[in-house]
Amino acid sequence: MKTKSKIGTIIKHEYLSKIKSKGFIIGTILAPVGIIVIYGIIILVAVMSADQTTKKLAIVDYTERIGAMLVERDTSKFFLTDLKEAELNEKVLTGEIDGYLVMPKDFAEKGAATVYTSGGGGLGFVTLIERNTEDIIVNLRLDEIGADESVKALVNRGISLSTMKVTQEGAQDDYSQVFAIMGYVMGFVIYGLMFTYGAFVMRGVIEEKANRIVEVLASSVKPFEIMMGKVIGIGAVGLTQVLFWIVLMGIFVAFGGSIAAGFMGTPDMATAGAEMQDQNAMIEMLNNISISPWLIVAFLFYFLAGYFIYSTLFAAVGSAVDQESDAAQLQIPVTLPIIIPIMFIANVMSNPDGTLAVVLSLIPFFTPILMIARIAATSVPIWQIALSVVLLAATFFACLYFAAKIYRVGILMYGKKPTFKDMVKWFKLAK
Amino acid sequence: MDIININSIKKTFGDYTAVDGVSFDVAQGTIFGLLGPNGAGKTTTIRMITNIIIPDEGKITIDGMKNGYDTQSLIGYLPEERGLYKKLKVIEQLKYFAQLKGVNAKDAEKIAMEWLVKLGAGGWENKKIQELSKGMQQKVQFIATILHDPKILILDEPFSGFDPINTEMLKSIILDMKSRGKTIILSTHVMSQVEQLCDDIVIINKGKIIVDGKVSEIKARYGEDTVIIEFDGDSSVINDIPDIRITDRSNHRVEFRLGANSPKASEILKDLVNKIDIIRFEKVQPSLHEIFITEVAKQKLGTKEATNEN
Repeated sequence: MKTKSKIGTIIKHEYLSKIKSKGFIIGTILAPVGIIVIYGIIILVAVMSADQTTKKLAIVDYTERIGAMLVERDTSKFFLTDLKEAELNEKVLTGEIDGYLVMPKDFAEKGAATVYTSGGGGLGFVTLIERNTEDIIVNLRLDEIGADESVKALVNRGISLSTMKVTQEGAQDDYSQVFAIMGYVMGFVIYGLMFTYGAFVMRGVIEEKANRIVEVLASSVKPFEIMMGKVIGIGAVGLTQVLFWIVLMGIFVAFGGSIAAGFMGTPDMATAGAEMQDQNAMIEMLNNISISPWLIVAFLFYFLAGYFIYSTLFAAVGSAVDQESDAAQLQIPVTLPIIIPIMFIANVMSNPDGTLAVVLSLIPFFTPILMIARIAATSVPIWQIALSVVLLAATFFACLYFAAKIYRVGILMYGKKPTFKDMVKWFKLAK
Repeated sequence: MDIININSIKKTFGDYTAVDGVSFDVAQGTIFGLLGPNGAGKTTTIRMITNIIIPDEGKITIDGMKNGYDTQSLIGYLPEERGLYKKLKVIEQLKYFAQLKGVNAKDAEKIAMEWLVKLGAGGWENKKIQELSKGMQQKVQFIATILHDPKILILDEPFSGFDPINTEMLKSIILDMKSRGKTIILSTHVMSQVEQLCDDIVIINKGKIIVDGKVSEIKARYGEDTVIIEFDGDSSVINDIPDIRITDRSNHRVEFRLGANSPKASEILKDLVNKIDIIRFEKVQPSLHEIFITEVAKQKLGTKEATNEN
């Protein structure tokens, strides 16, 4: 009677019991909802602060044509009025309107008009009016001197060309910053995931040991299978969660621009003030950052590699103690190498191709966090990535060998709080 | 036929020897008592039989095979310290353990439901373990032990946590298993249960066997050296009998063992009839309880207790 491996049963058990737990479902859904809410708040704040400078403006139009053209541009900000200036002053003082613009008869020729407000209004406010009227007046003047359509097109193109150039230069800078930020974010996410899921493994091992379940398990299955089943099962849970988030993020990135645009009303370059332009740049950025599938694959790989290395070590720590509170001291050697790369991530990101960055990111215990950050931020040479994969694999097997030995002795040891010396002793004990 | 052969197994943990050259055989279809004081090496022995740990020396054969991961599914093991996942539903718990013993999920569920009903636990299947009382948990744990219908059952203190009614039910289940040809290793400190259930026993102390054999033979070895008296009157007269060891004493009952220099039982009776009103006077073999204490005491029960069994 040959007993077939039961590791599949254990993996399934670990996976299902975790994935069905309320905590997991809530955490998986709430984390992105939280991020979206924060993102939404940032956008809302931006929109609201933009709204504050785009005030409602009455137009007293003696030219009898430019005012109407301006209103046409943005009816939400400008409206024509027949009221006398005295009455308008009163309305400004009572706050019914934010101000009014008087366009004299010779506005088109001289280009001089006056804005009356309750005071201030900000640079954005003035820029807004200037920009919008300038366009109109330039076109009007061109009309008056009888310039033909080709000249008008030339003038307008000239303007739009220069705008494009500025935007693109800014955008390029912004993108590299975005990729650096993405590197940070990915590094931190892997950090968080390794900690969270490593702790899940450790707590699972402690639960089985503290509740003496492990003795029943060990009378049915090889200790190695118990440990690996747990590590793989919980790893699969982590992978599920991360994939869920990636899909969610994909949807968000795909529709994020329009969602954000919806938040802000219809952004229209022609009427937009300085702040609006920033927002437009942000939306454009959102639409334009395409996270390459390769980066996602790399992220998943480094997450899993880091998880597998650390979770086996966490399992060893868990097997050594009787209760979670005893684990605090023993897990320091495991948690420290997770924390160290976070302390260096700023240095690495400031010069992701530098020697420090290369060396640190090739130390297997630091690789998951630092390498993904570098990959996101810069183009890492393929040999470095290949080397990191080899080193991670070697480290994983070394950790697994070590952890499995500690585990099989540790799970049956109760009583005194173990020291590192004890663990070394167990390591030798396990044959 | 022996289903388990244990041949001078030895296990040390560092410089502590938990089991030191223990050998015994367990015949198929019997109930075998594995006895001994705390820290004697019982749990370590059981763990070696169940292949949770591997002996440093010696050999264990189970059902003709060298023990290992393949023989694990032949055994159902109920550890002294019960262990169940607190947050898991009863049925999921049972299915999981059974699957680990090689039963497929569907069969496991069916058998689990049958046993739950049989043990008066029908309707519990969707309760979480943490919602159950200790006795209920014990029942679940017991079902988990026998779900895969093992040839061998190893029960470590199976009655602890059970009320007298459940204890009787469990006893009848154990005896029923025996009649179906199952072999049961019973480890307990309650000697009256051993006398009721066990065919053969070993008593282990400090990692070594100090007594082994059939219960009846072991008792016969000691002979009828024990006297039980039930009486009315002043019990202080018992104190005057020379060289006896009183093993149990209450207001109207005394049980003692005769020493080498004590008078014969008949002479004690003759002497006592004049002093107290004797209701019962009986000369019997010592109880297993008594034998256990005597034998362990002979070994000068150590002061140090093994840490790995606590």
